[in-house]
Amino acid sequence: MTMSRQADPASTAQRLKALEAQAKEAQRTIDELNARDALKTQFLSNISHDLRTPLAAIITHAEILRDGMLGELNQKQRDSVKGIVSGGQQLLDMVDEILTYVRAAGDQLTLTRTEFSIVELIDQVRMLNQALAAKKKLTIERMNGDDLPPIYADRDKLKHVIGNLIGNAIKFTPDGGRIWISLSRYGRKGEELVVEVGDTGRGIAQENHELVFREFAQVDASPSRSHHGTGLGLAIARKLVELHDGTIWVESELGKGSRFFFRIPLAPRRA
Amino acid sequence: MAGRILIVEDSTLVTDAFEILFRAAGYDVAIAATVAEAVAHGRTESVDVMLLDLSLPDGDGIEVLEELGATGRLPRATLAMTGHDDPKIRQRCLDAGCADVLLKPLPIGDILRHIERHLA
Repeated sequence: MTMSRQADPASTAQRLKALEAQAKEAQRTIDELNARDALKTQFLSNISHDLRTPLAAIITHAEILRDGMLGELNQKQRDSVKGIVSGGQQLLDMVDEILTYVRAAGDQLTLTRTEFSIVELIDQVRMLNQALAAKKKLTIERMNGDDLPPIYADRDKLKHVIGNLIGNAIKFTPDGGRIWISLSRYGRKGEELVVEVGDTGRGIAQENHELVFREFAQVDASPSRSHHGTGLGLAIARKLVELHDGTIWVESELGKGSRFFFRIPLAPRRA
Repeated sequence: MAGRILIVEDSTLVTDAFEILFRAAGYDVAIAATVAEAVAHGRTESVDVMLLDLSLPDGDGIEVLEELGATGRLPRATLAMTGHDDPKIRQRCLDAGCADVLLKPLPIGDILRHIERHLA
């Protein structure tokens, strides 16, 4: 006589109950991790905000001294105070970068679109970075784009993206190198704009192409790394490009320079 | 080209720095750390330029303008100071009667230029 292997209804019910309990436990863990993540983001936001005020005060005091408002300084004193101002500024930029990231991570950023010339914006960012580039004898060229129509986008946020890309190129390109910005149109009717920021720098290995856009990620994260920063620049750039319904990516090989691209609609349907 | 500046801001770190800056530039300086102090000062003293922080311990900086406006004792010009580059905040300040909205922190040269412009 063969026994049919029918499931025992009692044990099925038990297994189901166990599975349900496991699922509940997993959900609890997820909720807890999300809550902790939110707490960390809030902490980052609070601490960045609180860092700004004393930092701003330090910079103001140093500028008062630097500009001789409390009496003329000699050259050495002035150079030293200038160091306080530029160090403070750098720190402030990093704090602002963290605040922008926190707002982007919390979906608190919204676009304020206006119509503007993308080449004018790029030239403005080039000018802002000229002094930094000159220190390393780097050239920054815009290759083309004079014939592009105006774009309808958030000017400040695109300025941030282009600034981050050019800033990175300056940081990772050795002295005497070249940085270029090239613009083109993409799509059947050329309805999208593609911006390329290329450099003759050290390049990025294939396996790190995704990593560089992740928050707090740095290809060289060792304490002895030669380049410091928040590790947020490209993560923010990605968020801001995605807010414009665009995409951002990198094409690069180690030792052969990098080409960062982003693509966004030139004139999205207006709300 | 002297004038009287009222700094409305609750951080003494900021007010100390501004006080040194404005005195060095030849202005009279008064400081208020709360909405209540700013309103009390504005009601009794004349102010040429008010630098107004928007987040104060006892309320919103805009309340200072509303209360002083109600008694006809507005400063000649009010410059709002905010840490947020937000078009909505900017519009709200301009609607409330601010002459300009400054994004903190500002290089001292820019702050002095703004003040000179509003005193001219």
